[in-house]
Amino acid sequence: MSLSIKKEYLEKERLWNVELIGEIDIYTAKQFKEMFVEIYEIKKENIRIDAKGLDYIDSTGLGVMIGALKRSREENKNITIVNAKENVNKLLEITGLSKIFKIEE
Amino acid sequence: MQNVSEQNLAKKEESHQIKLSIPNKPEYLSVVRLTASGIANRMDFNIEEIEDIKLAVAEACTNAMTHGEKENSNYNVEFTVEEKRLIIEVNDKGKGCRVENIKKPQPRELEEGGLGIFIIKSLMDKVEISSKLGKGTTIKMIKNIGG
Repeated sequence: MSLSIKKEYLEKERLWNVELIGEIDIYTAKQFKEMFVEIYEIKKENIRIDAKGLDYIDSTGLGVMIGALKRSREENKNITIVNAKENVNKLLEITGLSKIFKIEE
Repeated sequence: MQNVSEQNLAKKEESHQIKLSIPNKPEYLSVVRLTASGIANRMDFNIEEIEDIKLAVAEACTNAMTHGEKENSNYNVEFTVEEKRLIIEVNDKGKGCRVENIKKPQPRELEEGGLGIFIIKSLMDKVEISSKLGKGTTIKMIKNIGG
């Protein structure tokens, strides 16, 4: 039960590609939050979250993403979520966050 | 004949209980999640329903950890397995809160908290929250098999 994060700045697309593998709950949310701080210290750019390996996320993880989006918008940047699994998509739908984040297949 | 039907009746009303007392520490949340999914899996819930149950239980536990008594304390999770439904109660020994103060989240305003209870209510068939100031909060939720 853990979270592994692979982050990479893609020069060509001028964005951060962040791959999430595992689960985000109250235990791993801190690690998730620190990642956003860390990449923003390096470069303030758009962020693409690749969720194909994300098996589970709950409100604590969503809270971190909302915080990160708020920060991104202050810099006129955006966060896109791609490849989300069915259960993650369902959660984004019921919380209304699918209208706030850019969601791509 | 009568005996058989009595037995059937008794069997119908049978319910099983599983109780957990879990340390108020985030690293144990996955244990509750695994237990919930194990129990739901044994019943006739489908994969989507099992995911709903896992998430709802985790939200209730996160709530208990955040608002319950801090450090070095345990909270309780009680599963009641019935033929057609699963009842889960999560109880903390915290200071309690005013239930009427729980509001619907407004994602457009980009609030970072307050989603948990809303998620539970969206995923489960019935949710009751009772809280007594000074006596902690109990979240009781029910999921019916086949929705």
